[in-house]
Amino acid sequence: MSLELVVFAIASGLAIVSALAMVVVKTPVKSVISLVLTFFALAVLSILLSAPFIAALQVIVYAGAILVLFLFVVMLLNLTQEAEGHDERPIQKLLGLVTVVALGGLLLGVTLKAGAPPVPAAGGPIGNVTDEIPILGRLLFSDHLLAFEALSVLLLLAAVGALILSKRRFD
Amino acid sequence: MSDATFTIVAAIVKILLIWAIALAALLPNLVWAERRGAGMIQDRPGPNRVGPFGLFQAVADVIKLFMKEDVTPTYVDKLLYNLAPWITMMPALVTFAVIPFGAPLDVTLGGVTRHVPLIIADVNIGILYIFAFSSLGIYGIVLAGWASNNKYSMMGGLRASAQIISYELSMGFAAASTFLVAGSLRLPAVVEWQQSHVWNVVPQFFGFLIFLIAVFAETNRLPFDLAEAEAELVAGFHTEYSAFKFGMFFMGEYANIIAASGLVVTSTSAAGRSRGSPSPASGEPSRRSPSSSRRRSRSSPSSSGSAGRSPASGTTSSWTWAGRSSSRSPSST
Repeated sequence: MSLELVVFAIASGLAIVSALAMVVVKTPVKSVISLVLTFFALAVLSILLSAPFIAALQVIVYAGAILVLFLFVVMLLNLTQEAEGHDERPIQKLLGLVTVVALGGLLLGVTLKAGAPPVPAAGGPIGNVTDEIPILGRLLFSDHLLAFEALSVLLLLAAVGALILSKRRFD
Repeated sequence: MSDATFTIVAAIVKILLIWAIALAALLPNLVWAERRGAGMIQDRPGPNRVGPFGLFQAVADVIKLFMKEDVTPTYVDKLLYNLAPWITMMPALVTFAVIPFGAPLDVTLGGVTRHVPLIIADVNIGILYIFAFSSLGIYGIVLAGWASNNKYSMMGGLRASAQIISYELSMGFAAASTFLVAGSLRLPAVVEWQQSHVWNVVPQFFGFLIFLIAVFAETNRLPFDLAEAEAELVAGFHTEYSAFKFGMFFMGEYANIIAASGLVVTSTSAAGRSRGSPSPASGEPSRRSPSSSRRRSRSSPSSSGSAGRSPASGTTSSWTWAGRSSSRSPSST
Protein backbone atom coordinates (compact mmCIF):
# COMPACT_ATOMS: atom_id res chain seq x y z
CA MET A 1 0.00 0.00 0.00
CA SER A 2 1.55 3.22 -1.09
CA LEU A 3 1.58 6.41 0.92
CA GLU A 4 -0.60 8.03 -1.70
CA LEU A 5 -3.32 5.45 -1.12
CA VAL A 6 -3.19 5.98 2.62
CA VAL A 7 -3.55 9.75 2.23
CA PHE A 8 -6.36 9.23 -0.29
CA ALA A 9 -8.21 6.91 2.07
CA ILE A 10 -7.92 9.32 4.99
CA ALA A 11 -8.87 12.41 2.96
CA SER A 12 -11.80 10.83 1.16
CA GLY A 13 -13.07 9.22 4.36
CA LEU A 14 -12.86 12.58 6.11
CA ALA A 15 -14.66 14.25 3.21
CA ILE A 16 -17.53 11.76 3.30
CA VAL A 17 -17.89 11.72 7.08
CA SER A 18 -17.77 15.49 7.44
CA ALA A 19 -20.19 15.98 4.53
CA LEU A 20 -22.60 13.62 6.29
CA ALA A 21 -22.06 15.46 9.56
CA MET A 22 -22.83 18.73 7.81
CA VAL A 23 -26.33 17.47 7.00
CA VAL A 24 -26.99 15.51 10.18
CA VAL A 25 -25.65 17.84 12.89
CA LYS A 26 -28.37 19.96 14.47
CA THR A 27 -26.37 23.06 15.39
CA PRO A 28 -25.85 25.37 12.39
CA VAL A 29 -22.40 26.47 13.56
CA LYS A 30 -21.23 22.86 13.69
CA SER A 31 -22.69 22.30 10.22
CA VAL A 32 -20.54 25.11 8.88
CA ILE A 33 -17.46 23.67 10.58
CA SER A 34 -18.16 20.26 9.06
CA LEU A 35 -18.41 21.89 5.65
CA VAL A 36 -15.02 23.55 6.23
CA LEU A 37 -13.59 20.12 7.02
CA THR A 38 -15.14 18.75 3.82
CA PHE A 39 -13.52 21.46 1.71
CA PHE A 40 -10.22 20.88 3.44
CA ALA A 41 -10.37 17.16 2.67
CA LEU A 42 -11.28 17.95 -0.95
CA ALA A 43 -8.24 20.23 -1.14
CA VAL A 44 -6.05 17.35 0.00
CA LEU A 45 -7.56 15.23 -2.78
CA SER A 46 -6.73 17.97 -5.29
CA ILE A 47 -3.12 17.93 -4.09
CA LEU A 48 -3.06 14.17 -4.64
CA LEU A 49 -4.15 14.85 -8.23
CA SER A 50 -1.10 17.19 -8.45
CA ALA A 51 -3.25 20.28 -8.71
CA PRO A 52 -1.97 22.30 -5.74
CA PHE A 53 -3.26 25.54 -7.26
CA ILE A 54 -6.84 24.27 -7.24
CA ALA A 55 -6.33 23.03 -3.69
CA ALA A 56 -5.09 26.42 -2.51
CA LEU A 57 -7.96 28.23 -4.23
CA GLN A 58 -10.43 25.80 -2.70
CA VAL A 59 -9.18 26.57 0.79
CA ILE A 60 -8.82 30.32 0.23
CA VAL A 61 -12.13 30.92 -1.52
CA TYR A 62 -14.45 28.38 0.07
CA ALA A 63 -13.02 27.56 3.47
CA GLY A 64 -11.41 30.93 4.04
CA ALA A 65 -13.89 33.42 2.63
CA ILE A 66 -17.35 32.08 1.83
CA LEU A 67 -17.76 29.87 4.87
CA VAL A 68 -16.48 32.57 7.18
CA LEU A 69 -19.34 34.70 5.88
CA PHE A 70 -21.74 31.79 6.48
CA LEU A 71 -20.45 31.46 10.02
CA PHE A 72 -20.71 35.20 10.47
CA VAL A 73 -24.38 35.23 9.44
CA VAL A 74 -25.23 32.11 11.44
CA MET A 75 -23.62 33.59 14.54
CA LEU A 76 -25.13 37.01 13.99
CA LEU A 77 -28.67 35.59 13.72
CA ASN A 78 -27.83 33.21 16.57
CA LEU A 79 -29.62 30.27 14.98
CA THR A 80 -29.15 27.94 17.92
CA GLN A 81 -32.85 27.23 18.36
CA GLU A 82 -33.12 25.41 15.04
CA ALA A 83 -32.47 22.16 16.87
CA GLU A 84 -36.12 21.92 17.90
CA GLY A 85 -37.09 20.92 14.38
CA HIS A 86 -40.34 22.78 13.96
CA ASP A 87 -42.51 22.88 10.86
CA GLU A 88 -41.56 19.46 9.57
CA ARG A 89 -44.00 18.05 7.04
CA PRO A 90 -44.16 14.38 6.07
CA ILE A 91 -43.74 15.17 2.38
CA GLN A 92 -40.35 16.77 3.10
CA LYS A 93 -38.72 13.46 3.86
CA LEU A 94 -40.30 11.77 0.84
CA LEU A 95 -39.16 14.53 -1.50
CA GLY A 96 -35.69 14.43 0.02
CA LEU A 97 -35.45 10.68 -0.47
CA VAL A 98 -36.56 10.92 -4.12
CA THR A 99 -34.01 13.63 -4.82
CA VAL A 100 -31.22 11.72 -3.14
CA VAL A 101 -31.99 8.53 -5.07
CA ALA A 102 -32.24 10.37 -8.38
CA LEU A 103 -29.03 12.36 -7.90
CA GLY A 104 -27.14 9.41 -6.48
CA GLY A 105 -28.27 7.16 -9.32
CA LEU A 106 -27.20 9.76 -11.85
CA LEU A 107 -23.77 10.15 -10.28
CA LEU A 108 -23.26 6.41 -9.93
CA GLY A 109 -24.34 5.77 -13.51
CA VAL A 110 -22.04 8.42 -14.94
CA THR A 111 -19.12 7.24 -12.82
CA LEU A 112 -19.60 3.64 -13.87
CA LYS A 113 -20.04 4.48 -17.53
CA ALA A 114 -17.03 6.75 -17.84
CA GLY A 115 -13.80 4.79 -17.91
CA ALA A 116 -10.47 5.94 -16.59
CA PRO A 117 -9.67 9.52 -17.62
CA PRO A 118 -7.10 9.92 -20.39
CA VAL A 119 -3.64 10.49 -18.99
CA PRO A 120 -1.75 13.20 -20.90
CA ALA A 121 1.51 11.95 -22.32
CA ALA A 122 4.61 13.22 -20.59
CA GLY A 123 6.07 16.14 -22.49
CA GLY A 124 2.71 17.05 -23.93
CA PRO A 125 1.12 20.45 -23.46
CA ILE A 126 0.36 19.80 -19.78
CA GLY A 127 2.63 16.92 -18.92
CA ASN A 128 6.01 17.36 -17.27
CA VAL A 129 5.29 20.78 -15.91
CA THR A 130 6.30 21.99 -12.48
CA ASP A 131 4.71 25.42 -12.61
CA GLU A 132 1.13 25.14 -13.71
CA ILE A 133 -0.03 28.66 -12.91
CA PRO A 134 1.43 30.52 -15.94
CA ILE A 135 -0.09 27.86 -18.18
CA LEU A 136 -3.44 28.29 -16.51
CA GLY A 137 -3.26 32.05 -16.91
CA ARG A 138 -2.30 31.78 -20.58
CA LEU A 139 -5.17 29.37 -21.25
CA LEU A 140 -7.66 31.60 -19.42
CA PHE A 141 -6.70 34.66 -21.42
CA SER A 142 -6.42 33.01 -24.82
CA ASP A 143 -8.51 29.90 -25.49
CA HIS A 144 -11.14 30.49 -22.83
CA LEU A 145 -11.22 34.27 -22.91
CA LEU A 146 -14.92 34.49 -23.81
CA ALA A 147 -16.02 32.11 -21.05
CA PHE A 148 -13.75 33.88 -18.60
CA GLU A 149 -15.18 37.30 -19.40
CA ALA A 150 -18.74 35.96 -19.36
CA LEU A 151 -18.11 34.53 -15.90
CA SER A 152 -16.77 37.82 -14.62
CA VAL A 153 -19.84 39.63 -15.98
CA LEU A 154 -22.01 37.04 -14.23
CA LEU A 155 -20.20 37.65 -10.95
CA LEU A 156 -20.61 41.39 -11.35
CA LEU A 157 -24.34 40.93 -12.02
CA ALA A 158 -24.65 38.79 -8.90
CA ALA A 159 -22.92 41.43 -6.79
CA VAL A 160 -25.08 44.24 -8.20
CA GLY A 161 -28.19 42.12 -7.78
CA ALA A 162 -27.41 41.40 -4.14
CA LEU A 163 -26.86 45.10 -3.57
CA ILE A 164 -30.21 46.02 -5.14
CA LEU A 165 -32.11 43.29 -3.31
CA SER A 166 -30.73 44.35 0.05
CA LYS A 167 -31.27 48.04 -0.60
CA ARG A 168 -34.77 48.28 -1.97
CA ARG A 169 -35.37 51.97 -1.59
CA PHE A 170 -33.11 54.44 -3.30
CA ASP A 171 -33.19 58.02 -2.22
CA MET B 1 23.24 7.78 4.85
CA SER B 2 21.18 7.54 1.69
CA ASP B 3 19.74 10.54 -0.13
CA ALA B 4 16.20 9.83 1.01
CA THR B 5 17.16 9.50 4.67
CA PHE B 6 19.22 12.65 4.44
CA THR B 7 16.31 14.59 2.95
CA ILE B 8 13.96 13.46 5.69
CA VAL B 9 16.45 14.17 8.47
CA ALA B 10 17.24 17.58 6.98
CA ALA B 11 13.53 18.41 6.76
CA ILE B 12 12.94 17.43 10.38
CA VAL B 13 15.97 19.43 11.53
CA LYS B 14 14.74 22.46 9.57
CA ILE B 15 11.23 22.21 11.02
CA LEU B 16 12.50 21.90 14.59
CA LEU B 17 14.97 24.71 14.03
CA ILE B 18 12.35 27.12 12.71
CA TRP B 19 9.90 26.34 15.47
CA ALA B 20 12.63 26.66 18.07
CA ILE B 21 13.77 30.02 16.71
CA ALA B 22 10.23 31.33 16.34
CA LEU B 23 8.76 30.09 19.59
CA ALA B 24 11.71 30.12 21.94
CA ALA B 25 13.82 33.00 20.65
CA LEU B 26 11.65 35.46 18.73
CA LEU B 27 8.32 35.11 20.48
CA PRO B 28 9.38 35.98 24.07
CA ASN B 29 11.39 38.95 22.87
CA LEU B 30 8.46 40.14 20.77
CA VAL B 31 6.18 40.00 23.79
CA TRP B 32 8.78 41.76 25.88
CA ALA B 33 9.31 44.50 23.28
CA GLU B 34 5.59 45.11 22.97
CA ARG B 35 4.99 45.28 26.70
CA ARG B 36 8.00 47.49 27.38
CA GLY B 37 7.06 49.69 24.43
CA ALA B 38 3.50 50.04 25.66
CA GLY B 39 4.90 50.82 29.09
CA MET B 40 7.13 53.54 27.68
CA ILE B 41 4.23 55.08 25.79
CA GLN B 42 2.03 55.03 28.87
CA ASP B 43 4.75 56.48 31.10
CA ARG B 44 5.26 53.39 33.26
CA PRO B 45 8.20 50.97 33.39
CA GLY B 46 6.49 47.84 32.09
CA PRO B 47 7.76 44.39 33.12
CA ASN B 48 11.26 44.98 34.49
CA ARG B 49 11.69 42.54 37.37
CA VAL B 50 12.41 39.09 35.93
CA GLY B 51 15.92 38.93 34.54
CA PRO B 52 17.87 41.86 33.06
CA PHE B 53 15.41 44.56 31.89
CA GLY B 54 12.60 42.08 32.49
CA LEU B 55 13.72 39.98 29.52
CA PHE B 56 12.70 36.69 31.15
CA GLN B 57 9.18 37.88 31.90
CA ALA B 58 7.78 35.72 29.08
CA VAL B 59 9.40 32.60 30.52
CA ALA B 60 7.86 33.32 33.91
CA ASP B 61 4.51 33.93 32.24
CA VAL B 62 4.62 30.64 30.36
CA ILE B 63 5.45 28.73 33.54
CA LYS B 64 2.61 30.50 35.32
CA LEU B 65 0.15 29.66 32.51
CA PHE B 66 1.12 25.99 32.63
CA MET B 67 0.73 25.82 36.40
CA LYS B 68 -2.64 27.51 36.65
CA GLU B 69 -5.89 25.64 36.97
CA ASP B 70 -7.62 25.10 33.64
CA VAL B 71 -11.18 26.28 34.22
CA THR B 72 -13.84 25.16 31.75
CA PRO B 73 -17.12 27.05 32.26
CA THR B 74 -20.22 24.88 32.60
CA TYR B 75 -22.30 26.06 29.67
CA VAL B 76 -19.69 26.09 26.95
CA ASP B 77 -19.79 23.91 23.85
CA LYS B 78 -17.12 21.46 25.02
CA LEU B 79 -15.92 20.23 21.62
CA LEU B 80 -15.49 23.58 19.93
CA TYR B 81 -14.30 25.27 23.11
CA ASN B 82 -11.40 22.84 23.40
CA LEU B 83 -10.70 22.81 19.68
CA ALA B 84 -10.51 26.58 19.16
CA PRO B 85 -7.03 27.23 20.66
CA TRP B 86 -5.56 24.48 18.49
CA ILE B 87 -7.16 25.90 15.37
CA THR B 88 -5.57 29.27 16.17
CA MET B 89 -2.15 27.79 16.85
CA MET B 90 -1.90 25.35 13.93
CA PRO B 91 -1.99 27.70 10.88
CA ALA B 92 0.65 29.97 12.38
CA LEU B 93 3.08 27.08 12.81
CA VAL B 94 2.31 25.56 9.42
CA THR B 95 2.85 28.85 7.59
CA PHE B 96 6.59 28.80 8.36
CA ALA B 97 6.98 25.92 5.90
CA VAL B 98 7.11 28.09 2.78
CA ILE B 99 9.05 31.09 4.10
CA PRO B 100 12.72 30.89 3.08
CA PHE B 101 15.05 31.61 5.96
CA GLY B 102 18.41 31.46 4.24
CA ALA B 103 20.30 30.86 1.05
CA PRO B 104 20.89 27.21 0.07
CA LEU B 105 23.53 25.57 2.17
CA ASP B 106 26.14 22.99 1.15
CA VAL B 107 26.42 20.29 3.76
CA THR B 108 29.20 17.72 3.69
CA LEU B 109 28.42 14.60 5.62
CA GLY B 110 30.52 11.47 5.34
CA GLY B 111 32.40 12.78 2.30
CA VAL B 112 29.26 13.55 0.30
CA THR B 113 28.30 17.18 -0.25
CA ARG B 114 24.63 17.87 -0.58
CA HIS B 115 22.71 21.02 -1.39
CA VAL B 116 20.22 21.96 1.32
CA PRO B 117 17.74 24.74 0.50
CA LEU B 118 16.92 26.60 3.70
CA ILE B 119 13.18 26.39 3.26
CA ILE B 120 11.06 23.53 4.48
CA ALA B 121 8.81 23.11 1.44
CA ASP B 122 9.54 25.02 -1.74
CA VAL B 123 6.04 24.59 -3.18
CA ASN B 124 5.15 26.46 -6.33
CA ILE B 125 2.07 28.01 -4.72
CA GLY B 126 3.95 29.42 -1.72
CA ILE B 127 2.01 32.65 -1.29
CA LEU B 128 -1.38 30.99 -1.84
CA TYR B 129 -0.42 28.41 0.76
CA ILE B 130 0.20 31.17 3.28
CA PHE B 131 -3.09 32.88 2.51
CA ALA B 132 -4.98 29.59 2.67
CA PHE B 133 -3.73 28.79 6.14
CA SER B 134 -3.93 32.33 7.48
CA SER B 135 -7.56 32.42 6.39
CA LEU B 136 -8.19 29.18 8.30
CA GLY B 137 -6.74 30.67 11.47
CA ILE B 138 -9.72 32.97 11.91
CA TYR B 139 -11.97 29.99 12.66
CA GLY B 140 -10.16 29.56 15.95
CA ILE B 141 -11.10 33.07 17.06
CA VAL B 142 -14.66 32.90 15.77
CA LEU B 143 -15.32 29.50 17.30
CA ALA B 144 -13.76 30.51 20.60
CA GLY B 145 -16.16 33.43 20.69
CA TRP B 146 -19.17 31.31 19.85
CA ALA B 147 -18.39 28.24 21.96
CA SER B 148 -17.75 30.29 25.10
CA ASN B 149 -21.48 31.04 25.38
CA ASN B 150 -20.75 34.56 26.51
CA LYS B 151 -21.97 37.70 24.78
CA TYR B 152 -18.66 39.52 25.14
CA SER B 153 -16.80 36.60 23.61
CA MET B 154 -19.38 36.43 20.84
CA MET B 155 -18.99 40.12 20.02
CA GLY B 156 -15.22 39.71 20.00
CA GLY B 157 -15.44 36.74 17.65
CA LEU B 158 -17.78 38.58 15.28
CA ARG B 159 -15.57 41.65 15.24
CA ALA B 160 -12.48 39.54 14.62
CA SER B 161 -14.07 37.75 11.68
CA ALA B 162 -15.35 40.99 10.14
CA GLN B 163 -11.94 42.61 10.51
CA ILE B 164 -9.95 39.72 9.13
CA ILE B 165 -12.24 39.29 6.13
CA SER B 166 -11.98 42.96 5.23
CA TYR B 167 -8.22 43.28 5.57
CA GLU B 168 -7.44 40.00 3.87
CA LEU B 169 -8.37 41.54 0.52
CA SER B 170 -5.98 44.46 0.78
CA MET B 171 -3.24 42.18 2.08
CA GLY B 172 -3.78 39.79 -0.81
CA PHE B 173 -3.61 42.53 -3.42
CA ALA B 174 -0.56 44.15 -1.87
CA ALA B 175 1.23 40.81 -1.81
CA ALA B 176 0.05 39.91 -5.31
CA SER B 177 1.82 42.92 -6.82
CA THR B 178 5.20 41.65 -5.63
CA PHE B 179 4.53 38.22 -7.04
CA LEU B 180 3.27 39.55 -10.36
CA VAL B 181 6.55 41.39 -10.81
CA ALA B 182 8.62 38.32 -10.00
CA GLY B 183 6.44 36.11 -12.18
CA SER B 184 6.19 33.32 -9.66
CA LEU B 185 4.26 32.44 -6.54
CA ARG B 186 7.34 30.91 -4.89
CA LEU B 187 8.82 33.07 -2.16
CA PRO B 188 12.43 32.13 -3.02
CA ALA B 189 11.80 33.28 -6.60
CA VAL B 190 10.60 36.65 -5.31
CA VAL B 191 13.70 37.07 -3.17
CA GLU B 192 15.85 36.10 -6.15
CA TRP B 193 14.14 38.63 -8.39
CA GLN B 194 14.65 41.40 -5.87
CA GLN B 195 18.28 40.49 -5.57
CA SER B 196 18.90 40.87 -9.27
CA HIS B 197 16.68 43.94 -9.69
CA VAL B 198 15.51 46.19 -6.89
CA TRP B 199 13.88 45.74 -3.53
CA ASN B 200 10.13 45.75 -3.90
CA VAL B 201 9.83 48.23 -1.08
CA VAL B 202 11.26 50.97 -3.34
CA PRO B 203 9.03 50.84 -6.44
CA GLN B 204 6.03 49.59 -4.50
CA PHE B 205 6.32 51.73 -1.42
CA PHE B 206 2.57 52.24 -1.07
CA GLY B 207 1.95 48.56 -1.59
CA PHE B 208 4.39 47.93 1.24
CA LEU B 209 2.56 50.38 3.50
CA ILE B 210 -0.80 48.76 2.73
CA PHE B 211 0.73 45.35 3.34
CA LEU B 212 2.12 46.44 6.70
CA ILE B 213 -1.15 48.00 7.84
CA ALA B 214 -3.12 44.95 6.71
CA VAL B 215 -0.74 42.68 8.61
CA PHE B 216 -1.29 44.74 11.75
CA ALA B 217 -5.03 44.33 11.30
CA GLU B 218 -4.80 40.63 10.47
CA THR B 219 -2.82 39.89 13.58
CA ASN B 220 -5.12 41.97 15.82
CA ARG B 221 -2.42 44.38 16.93
CA LEU B 222 -3.06 47.90 18.14
CA PRO B 223 -4.74 50.02 16.83
CA PHE B 224 -6.74 47.17 15.29
CA ASP B 225 -7.42 45.21 18.50
CA LEU B 226 -11.20 45.46 18.13
CA ALA B 227 -11.48 41.72 18.75
CA GLU B 228 -10.16 42.10 22.29
CA ALA B 229 -11.07 45.68 23.11
CA GLU B 230 -10.45 45.43 26.85
CA ALA B 231 -12.40 48.60 27.52
CA GLU B 232 -15.68 47.24 26.12
CA LEU B 233 -15.47 43.47 25.82
CA VAL B 234 -13.62 42.35 28.96
CA ALA B 235 -11.09 40.40 26.87
CA GLY B 236 -13.04 39.66 23.71
CA PHE B 237 -12.99 36.18 22.28
CA HIS B 238 -10.78 34.67 25.01
CA THR B 239 -12.71 36.02 27.99
CA GLU B 240 -13.66 32.52 29.15
CA TYR B 241 -10.26 30.95 28.55
CA SER B 242 -7.66 30.43 31.22
CA ALA B 243 -4.33 28.78 31.84
CA PHE B 244 -2.91 26.63 29.04
CA LYS B 245 -5.66 27.34 26.52
CA PHE B 246 -5.28 31.07 26.96
CA GLY B 247 -1.55 30.56 26.54
CA MET B 248 -2.15 28.84 23.23
CA PHE B 249 -4.19 31.78 21.93
CA PHE B 250 -1.44 34.09 23.08
CA MET B 251 1.33 32.07 21.44
CA GLY B 252 -0.69 31.54 18.28
CA GLU B 253 -1.20 35.27 17.97
CA TYR B 254 2.49 36.03 18.30
CA ALA B 255 3.50 33.13 16.06
CA ASN B 256 1.16 34.67 13.49
CA ILE B 257 2.96 37.99 13.84
CA ILE B 258 6.33 36.31 13.28
CA ALA B 259 5.08 34.45 10.21
CA ALA B 260 3.49 37.58 8.77
CA SER B 261 6.69 39.55 9.39
CA GLY B 262 8.61 36.84 7.58
CA LEU B 263 6.25 37.21 4.64
CA VAL B 264 6.59 41.00 4.61
CA VAL B 265 10.38 40.86 4.76
CA THR B 266 10.82 38.22 2.07
CA SER B 267 8.35 39.76 -0.34
CA THR B 268 9.50 43.36 -0.04
CA SER B 269 13.23 43.08 0.53
CA ALA B 270 15.92 40.80 -0.78
CA ALA B 271 16.98 39.57 2.61
CA GLY B 272 20.32 37.97 1.87
CA ARG B 273 21.82 40.70 -0.31
CA SER B 274 25.53 41.33 -0.24
CA ARG B 275 26.87 43.22 2.73
CA GLY B 276 27.56 46.95 2.53
CA SER B 277 24.62 47.88 0.37
CA PRO B 278 22.48 50.63 1.83
CA SER B 279 19.31 49.40 3.45
CA PRO B 280 16.30 51.10 1.90
CA ALA B 281 13.93 49.30 4.24
CA SER B 282 15.16 50.63 7.53
CA GLY B 283 11.68 51.04 8.99
CA GLU B 284 10.89 47.42 8.49
CA PRO B 285 10.36 44.97 11.34
CA SER B 286 13.12 42.76 10.00
CA ARG B 287 14.36 42.19 13.52
CA ARG B 288 11.35 40.00 14.14
CA SER B 289 11.66 37.87 11.06
CA PRO B 290 13.28 34.51 10.51
CA SER B 291 15.73 36.30 8.25
CA SER B 292 17.43 37.84 11.24
CA SER B 293 19.08 34.52 11.90
CA ARG B 294 20.60 34.75 8.48
CA ARG B 295 22.00 38.21 9.14
CA ARG B 296 23.59 36.97 12.30
CA SER B 297 25.19 34.00 10.62
CA ARG B 298 26.74 36.24 7.99
CA SER B 299 29.08 37.76 10.47
CA SER B 300 30.19 34.44 11.90
CA PRO B 301 33.50 33.15 10.57
CA SER B 302 33.10 30.78 7.68
CA SER B 303 34.38 27.37 8.55
CA SER B 304 34.61 24.22 6.49
CA GLY B 305 31.53 22.66 5.01
CA SER B 306 31.31 19.99 7.66
CA ALA B 307 30.18 22.49 10.24
CA GLY B 308 26.74 21.01 10.46
CA ARG B 309 23.32 21.83 9.21
CA SER B 310 22.42 24.75 11.38
CA PRO B 311 22.29 28.08 9.54
CA ALA B 312 23.55 29.79 12.65
CA SER B 313 26.85 27.98 12.31
CA GLY B 314 29.42 28.72 9.66
CA THR B 315 28.41 28.37 6.06
CA THR B 316 30.38 27.99 2.89
CA SER B 317 27.75 28.93 0.39
CA SER B 318 27.95 32.20 -1.42
CA TRP B 319 25.05 34.44 -0.52
CA THR B 320 22.98 34.07 -3.60
CA TRP B 321 19.92 32.14 -4.46
CA ALA B 322 21.60 30.65 -7.48
CA GLY B 323 21.38 26.96 -8.07
CA ARG B 324 17.85 26.72 -6.83
CA SER B 325 16.70 24.99 -9.97
CA SER B 326 18.94 22.07 -9.15
CA SER B 327 18.02 22.16 -5.52
CA ARG B 328 14.26 22.14 -5.67
CA SER B 329 12.98 20.62 -2.51
CA PRO B 330 11.78 17.06 -3.06
CA SER B 331 8.50 17.96 -1.43
CA SER B 332 7.75 20.65 -3.99
CA THR B 333 4.96 18.83 -5.77
